[in-house]
Order: sequence, then C-alpha cells, then structure tokens
Amino acid sequence: MNHWKERRQAQQGRDWVRVYGKAHNQKCRASLASHLSEGEIAALPIYNQNIGSIASARRIFLLGILLVFLVGTVSAQVPDNLPDVTAISLEDLMNLNVTSVSKRTQKLADAAAAIFVITQEDIRRSGATCIPEALRMVPGLEVARIDMNKWAISSRGFNGRFANKLLVLIDGRSVYTPLFSGVYWNMQDVMLEDVDRIEVIRGPGATLWGANAVNGVINIITKSAKSTQSGIMTAGAETEERASGRLRYGGKLDDNTYYRAYAKYFKWDPSVDATRRKASDGWDALRGGFRMEWTPLGADSLTLQGDLYHSNYGETLTVPSLTPPYSSTFSNNGNFSGGNFLGRWNHAFSSSSTSLQMYYDKTDIAAGSLLTDHQGIYDIDFQHDVRAGESQQLVWGIGYRSIRDRNVSSSSVSLQRDQLSLNQFSAFVQDEVGLFDKRLRITLGSKFEHNDFTGFEVEPNARFLWTLSPRQSLWSAISRAVRTPAQTEEDIRLNSAIIPPGISPAAGPLPTLVAVFGNRQFKSENLLAYELGYRVKATSSFSTNVAAFYNNYHNLLSAELGTPFLETNPAPIHIVAPLVAGNKMRGGTYGIEWFADWRVIPKWKLSGSYSYLQMNIRKDKDSLDPTSDNPNGTSPRHQFYLRSSIDLPKNFEQDLIVRFVDRLPSLNVPSYHSLDAHLGWRPVAALEFSVGGQNLLNNRHLEFIPDFINTSPTEVKRTFYGTITWRF
Amino acid sequence: MTRQLGLAIATICMSLHLSLPANAQTLDSSDSSEYLIKAGFIYNFAKFVGWPTTAFAQPNSPIVIGIFGNDPFGAILDRIVNEKKIDGRGFVVKRLKWGKDLKDCNILFISSSEKAHFQEVIQIVKGMPVLTIGETPNFARRGGIINFTLEDSKVRFEVNIEAARQADLNISSRLLSLARIVQEDVAYGRKTQ
Repeated sequence: MNHWKERRQAQQGRDWVRVYGKAHNQKCRASLASHLSEGEIAALPIYNQNIGSIASARRIFLLGILLVFLVGTVSAQVPDNLPDVTAISLEDLMNLNVTSVSKRTQKLADAAAAIFVITQEDIRRSGATCIPEALRMVPGLEVARIDMNKWAISSRGFNGRFANKLLVLIDGRSVYTPLFSGVYWNMQDVMLEDVDRIEVIRGPGATLWGANAVNGVINIITKSAKSTQSGIMTAGAETEERASGRLRYGGKLDDNTYYRAYAKYFKWDPSVDATRRKASDGWDALRGGFRMEWTPLGADSLTLQGDLYHSNYGETLTVPSLTPPYSSTFSNNGNFSGGNFLGRWNHAFSSSSTSLQMYYDKTDIAAGSLLTDHQGIYDIDFQHDVRAGESQQLVWGIGYRSIRDRNVSSSSVSLQRDQLSLNQFSAFVQDEVGLFDKRLRITLGSKFEHNDFTGFEVEPNARFLWTLSPRQSLWSAISRAVRTPAQTEEDIRLNSAIIPPGISPAAGPLPTLVAVFGNRQFKSENLLAYELGYRVKATSSFSTNVAAFYNNYHNLLSAELGTPFLETNPAPIHIVAPLVAGNKMRGGTYGIEWFADWRVIPKWKLSGSYSYLQMNIRKDKDSLDPTSDNPNGTSPRHQFYLRSSIDLPKNFEQDLIVRFVDRLPSLNVPSYHSLDAHLGWRPVAALEFSVGGQNLLNNRHLEFIPDFINTSPTEVKRTFYGTITWRF
Repeated sequence: MTRQLGLAIATICMSLHLSLPANAQTLDSSDSSEYLIKAGFIYNFAKFVGWPTTAFAQPNSPIVIGIFGNDPFGAILDRIVNEKKIDGRGFVVKRLKWGKDLKDCNILFISSSEKAHFQEVIQIVKGMPVLTIGETPNFARRGGIINFTLEDSKVRFEVNIEAARQADLNISSRLLSLARIVQEDVAYGRKTQ
C-alpha cells in the first residue's frame, strides 16, 4: 500500500523539478539535472557522475519544494507555500541535509532551458519496453518507429533515421556515433527498471555538452548500485510474439562498496509491411552489465560500470543494380555487438569539486550487405566546479576523445578511408552570477573544441533566468551550436538508385547510377538559437510551462549535383551522377512546446502536452541540389499527448495515454492517433503484474519512411502485453 | 523498489552533502528546515506505526499529536498534517501543558526544552498506546520510543523496540530498518523499577 502511495507522491515531485528547476550551469554529462534545480538537484547530477546517477527526480523535486519553501521563509515565520513533506519518503527524509537545505535556499532558481524529466514511475506505468518508447512522452520530441529495430528520433525538426542534431548520453557516456553523427537507437538499451530518470533538454546544449548537442540532449541516468540492492526478475510477452526476460541483482561487498549486475534478453518477431505481409524486421538482443561504486568515507567516490551486448536484426533492403530490373530487394540480416567500460572519480574540496571520467566504448557492426564497421572510442574528461562567493558559480573542464575506425565496404556503401583515427580536444568554461538578490541569474559560457575535420569550433551561450516569484519564472537563452561533420559526410559513397537506360536523355543507352558522395570540404552545420520560456505552478495541484524557440541554421547539409562521369567497374559500363555533400541550405525554424500537469484528486493525475513546429529551410541560390526539400515535411507540425494516471484501490493502478502525431507530408505518412492502456497490480510488495495494450485505436499505422538507406518501413501494430515482475 | 529509490536518494544527498562548501555563512533558517524535516518524519511514523484498536474511539478518530514543552514546530506541524489522512484517520495537533492530560494523545512529542523532565512524562504514559518521540540524547535509552538525533546535519532516529512493545505499538519493519535500534539502558531500567 505504501509503495503505491509513495509512487504517487513521488510523482508529484517531478513536476516541481520542472517548475522549480534551475539551470545549474555545471556541465555534467551524467545529468542534465544539473540544469534542473539549484538546491538539491543542481548539485546532485554532478555528483551523480561520481557516485552514480541516482536521484529519483521526483523526490528531488520534493527537495526542490523545500528550497522554495525556505526561500520563502527567510523572512516570514511560516510561508503560505509550505512544501508537502508528507510526500517525501522516510528514506529520503533521512538524507535531507538540514544545513545544506538552508544554505541552498539562497540559490533557488529554475532551469533556463526547456527541460523535461521522465521518471522511473513514468517509464514503468507507460508500459515502455525500450528507450524510444519511453521518449514518446516528451513534449515536442519526435519519435517514430521505422521498423521493429529502427527509429527516427529528433527534437525540433530534422527527423530521420540518421537524424544528427540530438546528443544522447547514458550515464555520462555519449552514444552519438561518429559514423553518421546520430544514434543507433537499436544499440542503446539499459535495464529499464534501473533507470532513475531520463532528462531531455530541447534546444542547444552545446556549451556544456559540446558539438552535436544542437537541437537537444537526452540524458539517460541509471540508479546507483547502492540504490539497487536487491534482485528483480521480469518476464514479459506480447501478442506479435515479442518475448523478453530481465534479471538484476545488487549487493554489497562492504559498507562502502556496492554493486549490481544485470542481464536481459528479448526477441521480437517481424512486423508487417504495407502490403500486410510479414516483414523481415525481427530483432533479438542479449545484453548484460554491471555497476560498482566505492565511496570511502571522506570526499572521494569511484564508480565503475560496463555493458556487453550482442544483437541480431533483419530488414528488407533495396539496393540498385546495374542490370534489369535495376534494383534488388531482399531480406538483409545483420548483427552488432559491443561493450563499454566507464570509470569516474569524484573528489570534493571545501568549496569546489572535481570529476574525472574515462571510458572506452567498442562497437562492431556487421550490417549484412551494407557496411561492416569496427569502432573504438576512448574518452577522458575532467571537470572542476568552483563556488566563487555567494552568488557566483564557475565551472570549467577539458576533454579528449579518440575515435578509431576500421570498416569494410560493400558494393552499395563504401567509405574512402577504411581506417581512420580522429582526435577531438575540448575545453569549456561557464559562469553563473546572481543579481538583484538572485532574482535574476545570468549564465555565460562557451565551449571551445578542435576536431580533425573542421578545426576549431566555438559554442557560446547566454542564459537568463528571472524568478518572478517562488511559483513563477521566466527564462531566455541565446546559444550557438555546431554539428560537426560525420565520417560519412566526408568519406561515403552510397549507391542509391539507378535510372534505367532511355529515361535520362543525357545518358543515352547507358544506365545512370545516382550515388551520394561525401566531401572533405564539408563544413560544420551551425545554429543560432533564441529561446524563451515561462513556468508557473499555479496551485498546489496544477502547474504548466511553455517554451518557444526560433532557430536560425546555416551551412546545413545539401546534396549538390556534381559532374557525371563514366564508370566501367563494376560492369556494365554506366554513368555515375554524383550527389556531393554540400553546405548549401539554411533557414529558420520556430515552434512552441507546452506542457501541463494537473492532479485532479490525489489519486488521479492528468498531464498533457502540445507542440507546434514550423520549418522554413531553403537551398542557397547557387545550390545545385536536386533532391533536398524543406525538411518541414518530415516532422509533424502538431503533436498532442494526454496521459491519465489513476491509483485504484487494492493496489491497482491504471494509465491511459492518447497521442496525436500530425502527418509527414513529404514522406506521405498520414497523421495518426494512438491509445495505450496499462493496468498494474501489486498484490504484495514483491510481486507486480502488468497488462496493457498499445496502439489500441487502429490495427496498425505507419510512422516513418527511412532516409538514405532504402529499407522497407513496417507498420506499428496493435499489441497486447503482459509482464510479471518479482523483486527479491 | 521504494527502498531502492530511497537509497538512491540517500546516495544523492550524501553526494550533495559532500559537494557543499563548508561555508559558515548560512541563513538562520536551518531551524525551519530541521523541524520541517522532523514534521515529515512524524507523519511517516504515524504511517508506519500500528496502534491497538483500543487507542481510538472510532475507526475514523483522528490521530492526536501532542506537543509537550516549547513548541519548536511553530505552525509547521499543523500545516503539514492538515487534511492529511492515514487509513481514514485525520490529524489533530495539540499543545500539552504539564498537568494537562498527557495520555490524551496518540503521538507525544517531547521537546528538548523538557529534557530535564522527560522521564517523568514517560512514566505518565507508560503502558498506554502513546508513541513518545523525543529529541534529547538518551531519550530512547531511558524509556522513550523514538528519539531524533542529528548526524552530519541529517535527521536520524533511534527506536527502543521494547518500549514500543510495552506500549502495545506495532512498528513496521520498514521503519525499524531505517532506525538505530537501542536497548533500554539496563542500569537505568533497574533504577526505575
């Protein structure tokens, strides 16, 4: 019973995070929460890096409430807005720091950024079985499933399978692949029960996180080993023959050393294609990992963690061929495997703290008839946070990243250099100053980076936060961000289509092969972003926030038609029409994202969001790009999300989620509604049953058409699932 | 899971603590936060302690919290438990004076202002289903049931299980798992008997 109560209460907390979060300005890979709330949250993330990222955002929020309260109480005896400490669990109360709370009251502030936090509770109750499904609840984020094992996920436009303007981190480790400057979503997985929270910043985060945090940052933060000191076993099955099993166990070696280890496996059967035939997009994955924390008494903490995985997947691939029928479509099977190992050391001084993080991340991809790629990334990062007086906080850091790549080309995809070694150096500094009794907080900072493709890059930002009252704040930001070139934009040759003989008058009797080429002169794409936001906690049960942005892009990727040439190998002789990577697109995008949260009665919560996006991207006048279109057509203009969460008697809980995603006109993907339902029952604390259905409103719907690589999209079907979770 | 989350928070807070500069320039609102946190604890104690049915006149009788001595909570406790319910019971907060019926409550908070007299108070409610809560060193060792302590600026609590048993109170294992369990001070116990 109490479990349920607390969950519900904990959820209330999250909203506070959003409402009263603060831009912490510390760069903290492990957690955007540093952007969240000052007091508690702010500091938390940073140390999350060390000890482990743990904070349950919701509770932290309650801590946030405390701050708010304390701010209010400096002069008054008992403020009107007393925080609801009854919603804080015993465990959390035990760890509230009496003096620290009051110290931090001076620095209450919000995040000067559009932040959304997905809590463990949100994930559990949504029925999400993988990270992309959980991300569907973020206001304004575009999440589309291409087939069973591929997603297109983006923030504020430019969506695609190879979307390249979103930075994703898992426990401080960037999972952005240098191959195409995007994320292989099917390789990113964690034990979802161990996720503490997922923090999503829409808008640039480049000053803290560096190049490629252009339109957003997603930070997936797992709990600390110390907070997962028990076993959990989950088995689930779905119609459409998805099956999965997960096991985690945590323990301690001594009072200062905690560990956990997990293993999970799932197998998803193929979906259906547009003709309702079974496709070949099945997928299975086996994954395991561990996390260990050593916190000797004193100011140091050490975290070690790692994962290993192997996965097999299928897809229906179409590649051009030089002989009739000029293309071949077949079932392409691939696999990938990899592993990572991360170590983080944190040390606290009297008025500052340092963090040193190192990791190695290895990825091996054998994409069947496409590319085979082996990549190893070494990354080392140092960060120093200094509290410079009462109203000033300085943070700086340096980093180095080394990427080693080996690849084997195929007949349809090749990279010019089959071995490549890249080095990136970076440094950043950011200062936050409070003015007018800290009602106005100004954050100024910049990142300086050097990469082997484009040399130096500078990414400054300025953020302003005006705390109108403990319940209301207004923020704005101006930032510059760059998206540095990917290996493919420099080196690729991708044979994308054949124009049969006779169709192109210029080619005469020869077939014409349209191929995409990389360009060593490709420059970074860059963005100047203007953002404005407002948050209010109108009553104790209703809060809302809205963010608006105008983004101005330059040097966006275009595909410039080059001079055609004859190619004799492979036979038969053919003409190649090259489309060469160029930087000849530019333009503006603007939009608005609104979120509201209403606890109608204590046991019933409604939350909803609406987002609007408009993109006006155009080719430069001298562009010879015959293909690129205004990407407006590949992102939904309107998105709507509504969720109802009810705690029922007898330890039942029930959730309903309705989503609307607008059509994608240039992909001919119609708009869709979806309804997901979830019913959970926890008869005893150790056992939980959950059943639900996804996409209940229609038999199936299409969500996206892939770009560049011509794989066949499949439809998202109506599914029902059941899960049993046992905690021991 | 709740426990795991809690531990997570614990770790966070610990790290938070580490991160804080040892800066002496604090606001003097620390008292407020201390008693706000303690109010949160008291609410949780009510949640995790089972009273015998005889302790309440009716199933929906409120849980009466008595405060004895100088009230460090001000209006905080009243506000925190206002309109809160546990298993159908609301709360009533009373300030008790010496001589007034100290037995007329379910939870009795004995302020540190009464540290010289707490043993007498405990004697008065001995054998009654009253959850005594103190904030004085050795309160629990000398017959009190729960005692708040401050460690590293954090609020902790001790539980005297034997005293709870004598009061016919059932303390949940969850609460006990977070408490420091203390034994009755044997020498003291003999003296009183």
